[in-house]
Formats: sequence, C-alpha cells, structure tokens
Amino acid sequence: MSSRNKGQMEMAGLVVIVILITLGILFMAQFALKDEPSKKIFTRKELAASTMAALMKTTVVDCTGGPTQFPQIEGDLLDDCAVWGNEYSQYVCDGQPSCSFLHTKIEELLGETLGVWGKKYHFVSEKVSTGMSVFEEKIEGLNGNCEDRERDTSGDFYLPSGDGLVRSVLYVCE
Amino acid sequence: MKQSKRAQIHMSETIAVLFIFFILVLFGSVFYYKYSEISFKQQQEEMFAKRAIDTTTKTLFLPELLCSKGESGAEQFCVDMTKLRSAETVFNNNKGYYFGMFSYANITVQQIYPEVVDGGVDTWIVYNNLKPDTTKIEPTYFIVTLKDETHQSEGKPSYGFGVVKVEVYS
Repeated sequence: MSSRNKGQMEMAGLVVIVILITLGILFMAQFALKDEPSKKIFTRKELAASTMAALMKTTVVDCTGGPTQFPQIEGDLLDDCAVWGNEYSQYVCDGQPSCSFLHTKIEELLGETLGVWGKKYHFVSEKVSTGMSVFEEKIEGLNGNCEDRERDTSGDFYLPSGDGLVRSVLYVCE
Repeated sequence: MKQSKRAQIHMSETIAVLFIFFILVLFGSVFYYKYSEISFKQQQEEMFAKRAIDTTTKTLFLPELLCSKGESGAEQFCVDMTKLRSAETVFNNNKGYYFGMFSYANITVQQIYPEVVDGGVDTWIVYNNLKPDTTKIEPTYFIVTLKDETHQSEGKPSYGFGVVKVEVYS
C-alpha cells in the first residue's frame, strides 16, 4: 500500500514537471513564431505601389525626336520601346533610343531609392500576348531580386501599346 | 533507531522534492518576468511603429500637398510642387494645428529626378519638430511623383520623381 502511494506521488511529480516544461516550450514557441512587424509589411506593400505609380508617371526632360516634348515613362517611352524597339525608336533621350534609355533610367531611379534603402527588387515589363520581356536585360536591385522570396508587388500596370498589351510590375522584398 | 533513520531519509527526500519544486517555480517566475518585460517593450515599439504609419499616411494624403485634378479626385502618391514650395511657410504659420496632427516628427520631400542644377533646391522641409529628449527615431520612406504645373508641355504638367521621408521621434 505504502509503495503504491509512493508510486502515485512520483507520478504526480512527473506530471507537474511535464506540465512546466510544456508551458516553457509554449512560451518559447510564442516568441519564435512572432509575426513580421506590421510596419514592415505596410511599408513594403505601399512602397512597391507608390514607387511604380511614380515611376510610370514620371516625365523625361531630355528627349528629342518623338511627338511629345516631355514624354512620360509609361505612356510614351514604354509604348515607343514596345512598338519600335531600339532599332526604330522615335525618341532619343540622353543620346539613347527609348529601350536603352528606359533600362538605364529605371535602374538608376530604383537604385537611388530602393537600392540605397537596402531593399531587394526587380522590375518586369512584358508583352502580354507573347510573355516576352520588353527589355533585353533584367532590371533588378544591387542587393538582389525577389524571384524566390516572399515579396510584395506593385500590382499590374497595363499599357495598351501599338503592339498589344504591355504588363509592367515591380516586386519588392527584404 | 531504525525507524528514526527511515524518517530522516523520508524527510531529506521531501526536502529535496520541495527544493526542486521551488527551483522550478523560481525559473518559471524569472522566465515570466522576462517575458512580460519583453512583451511590454514590444507593445511600446508596436505603438511607436503605428504612430510612424499614421504620420506617413497623413502626410501622403495631406490636402496641403496632394495633387488635385480640378473637380475629379486627387492623384495618389503625388505631391504638387506649387503647394510644396509654400508648404514650409504654411506649416510654420500654423504650428499648433500641425503639432496636433504630426506631434514630434520631421517630414521632408526630396526631388530625385529631374536632377536639380547647381544651386537649386532639391529638398523641402515640410514640417520639423524635434523632440528635445528624443531616444528613438523611426524613418519611413515613400516614393512620390512631383507634379509641376509651372513646367508644362502641350498644356500638360511635368512629373518628377521624389522621395517623402517621414521621421517620428519618441
């Protein structure tokens, strides 16, 4: 009887220890599984959208040859690039045809902002019908791109160009 | 004599169990205290981050800076350069009102493109109220278009590329 009692008490002690250890593990798990801070998520999401909206709207001051004095990046230069390519480009900006200029300028503007803030990003502009990129080379950050990462998108920006629909999108990640 | 020894062993066993139990309770208490402390700090940081988000959102949608298109809706992520050029004066003349809105913060707009020629202004301080005993600064950056009605082509305004930097102090 006495040894049975003792056994029961030991069992109870063991249960208490197991409960305490479980509580400890639960506490630690709560720390480990903490969500990404909401500010980071908000900033990155809005940043991708605002950057793309600003980029597409920007007007360029050093262009000649085309119908507009200050062509807009999306409405005029991207359209010119998608339709005519570098070879027959109507616009010459900073001594470059539209595709080359756009590649350089977009890379430069994103590098001076997102790149300096340590963000990874990549910019895609492709013809919807063929899925072919408008640019010959990729536009991505010095810190890397977001191809295999959890990323935020600016959302698709569609341009009805003379050569079909062009879809542009910016991906930003940490 | 034999029974007294057994009782002694029993006693030391109980003491050992109690000792271990209290050690575990102590560990638990220390752990819980640390957890509460960290949790409190995190809560404070979250509140600070929320203030940073609020201040940034207010700045981005501030009618005193936002581009408007006549009777149609405002343009998102767009700062009107005409408004921006006189913003510092407007904000300085109404410090009390804007303090209620932004509290301790520093809001600047920088023009990235087109590049400003030598001697030109490329950064505008919209609001600056530095907290004297500040312990933490939380900067948030946003990219905006800078609409310039004074620089037009075929009746359309030109759009630059700029950065809004919002720093909040705690």
